[in-house]
Amino acid sequence: MLEINNLSAKVDKKTILNGLSLKIKPGEVHAIMGPNGSGKSTLANVLSGKKGYEISGKVNYDDKDLFELAIEERAHRGLFLAFQYPLEIPGVNTSNFLKTSLNAIRKSNGKKQLDALEFLKIVKQKASELKIDEKILHRQLNVGFSGGEKKKNEILQMSLIEPKMAILDETDSGLDIDALKIVAKGVNALRNKKRSFLIITHYQRLLDYIKPDFVHVLMKGKIAKSGCMELAEELEKAGYEKI
Amino acid sequence: MIEELNKNFEIFRKTYIPKLEDEKKRIEAFKDFEKSGFPNKKLEDWKFSDFSSIISNKIENIKVSLERNKNFKFENFIKDFDHIKIFFFNGFFVEKGEKFDEKKGFNYVTPYNGFKRNFSKEGGFLILPNSNNALESLNNAFFTDGLSIATKKNFEFKKPIVIYNIFEGSKKNNFFNNKIHFVISENSKLDIMIYNINIGEEPIFFNLKNTFYLKKNSIFKLYNLSDFKKNDVHYNFGRYFLEENSIFENFNNCYSGGFSKSDLVCSLNKEYSSCFINGVMLSQDQNHHEIKTLINHNEKNTKSYQKIKSVLNHSSKGVFQGKIKVSPEAQKTDGYQLSKALLLDKNSEFDSKPELEIYADDVKCSHGSTSGNLDEEAIFYLMSRGLDKYEAKKLLIKGFLTDAIETITNNEIKKYFLNKLENNINEHR
Ligand SMILES: Nc1ncnc2c1ncn2[C@@H]1O[C@H](COP(=O)(O)OP(=O)(O)OP(=O)(O)O)[C@@H](O)[C@H]1O
Ligand SMILES: [Mg+2]
Repeated sequence: MLEINNLSAKVDKKTILNGLSLKIKPGEVHAIMGPNGSGKSTLANVLSGKKGYEISGKVNYDDKDLFELAIEERAHRGLFLAFQYPLEIPGVNTSNFLKTSLNAIRKSNGKKQLDALEFLKIVKQKASELKIDEKILHRQLNVGFSGGEKKKNEILQMSLIEPKMAILDETDSGLDIDALKIVAKGVNALRNKKRSFLIITHYQRLLDYIKPDFVHVLMKGKIAKSGCMELAEELEKAGYEKI
Repeated sequence: MIEELNKNFEIFRKTYIPKLEDEKKRIEAFKDFEKSGFPNKKLEDWKFSDFSSIISNKIENIKVSLERNKNFKFENFIKDFDHIKIFFFNGFFVEKGEKFDEKKGFNYVTPYNGFKRNFSKEGGFLILPNSNNALESLNNAFFTDGLSIATKKNFEFKKPIVIYNIFEGSKKNNFFNNKIHFVISENSKLDIMIYNINIGEEPIFFNLKNTFYLKKNSIFKLYNLSDFKKNDVHYNFGRYFLEENSIFENFNNCYSGGFSKSDLVCSLNKEYSSCFINGVMLSQDQNHHEIKTLINHNEKNTKSYQKIKSVLNHSSKGVFQGKIKVSPEAQKTDGYQLSKALLLDKNSEFDSKPELEIYADDVKCSHGSTSGNLDEEAIFYLMSRGLDKYEAKKLLIKGFLTDAIETITNNEIKKYFLNKLENNINEHR
């Protein structure tokens, strides 16, 4: 699904990612942990196509050279990033935005556009599954949303879009226990043999619910250690110092 | 250009049939205009818009024609909401619009149907005001037709009135001077939209003066919209006088035309009167739009609110000059003013001059002005959700401007303007 080979990324001559390699097969769930500033969000941004990085290395996504694809083409081909800090966009109605996004992706995949009613039915159902208050659908996108509401809104988008490869950047940070379970439920509901996940987190708690296949530690811009759930438990106890 | 106008004025005086009670006023007004000429940027009020060079760039030969088109046909009126229609064609009132009667809640007069019926206490437009505004003097000199309406007391209009100013700009006829004069009587409620459209091939200069008196407890909403051509020039001089507990809501859409300036003076003359003057600019193709406001807080407990959102692209120019003036009597004034602009290319320009002039001590006044570019992070966020760059920008622009349109309290008209915005953004590449 996703094969990262010797990926480096620089901003203003500062190296942030430094020869990172990682392979994620269809159906696998990988977790990435790592200290603040180690480059986790940078990895997520580079994969989704954010501009402003000087990049070297190779990334294959779904049998394509990822760097040949524009930002929106990556989304059209099933790559999804739940942002660590979802943006507030004044004046843009949340429901309207969700429909525009979903239809843009459907269109690129030759699927029929959903009309307002069809969309509303789907979004209401997904929102209730995720215990999201429907009222936020009528509000301006993320404007004045609580931290938790913003994160849940990202998961709502993920469940609407049903991506092939979802990257979650600290979606669990700042969530209460119930919300954490909802996010885990959202991920587990989508989990299947074809769909892959890359979950960036600081806490073992989310991983207890999701049970990833692999856990990696990102330090100084590369994968310093890989393992399974036990690695997350070790980190929880001993921190990053011993690695 | 002035010489040309002089010739036009002589012909106009000979051919224009209804005479004012005081025709000398016209001649004086024209002399006033001749003395100062078209305003240029040396004048503080025209600092950012050099009208004299704008007009000579946009219009080759200025020409007044008093020909009235008897076969006027216009089917392209608004279908989105029910409204009372009033038509002007090439500056003349057209009888084909709505029939007026007392039951509809207002009485009206235009120079052609009753010059002598000077029923409006405020003098209507039949008495030409002295002016030190050159374009108003010009309007006084060439004033051809207009509409003077007084609403009935305690009358609430169920539908808005739309005044369609339709022009067929040609080389022979491109200069139009009208006046609109309303008295919104005590306890009455009225919504009006002034819709200017040039269906002709050639550019026009439309010089409009409008005056509105809001009596005690009245609520008046005034919306402006124009479908102008690339070189059309429009000057809209509005004066609004508010009495006790009256509410004035004004919304200006600036989408089209070579140059347009709304020059709005609102006087809050009695206690508890309030005005809301908002607007959007979406300027492209070297358009130049200006909104200039002066709010006079002349009495205590008065309130003003202004929100102007502007998007400039393709070497266009936007200007907002807004002044809140609080007289010594006007304690407990609440004044708010905000102008925000997005510049989409480096050849576009936005000039803003917010001013507060306060002579009372117990007041709450604030103003703010920002201009900047679209947020790259927001564009990335939207694109990562499958929108291409054009769609992402469009959504952000729409969101930015919608914020101002949301201030409109007539829901039907708000919806109509939101659709207009959508169409205008779609054309905005
Ligand atoms: N645009 C940028 N300009 C300058 N420095 C940057 C930029 N983006 C990231 N960095 C730096 O790169 C480093 C890695 O940042 P990144 O956001 O990827 O960390 P992270 O692992 O996600 O941290 P956290 O756990 O706190 O979210 C940090 O030191 C950060 O300051
Ligand atoms: Mg991060």
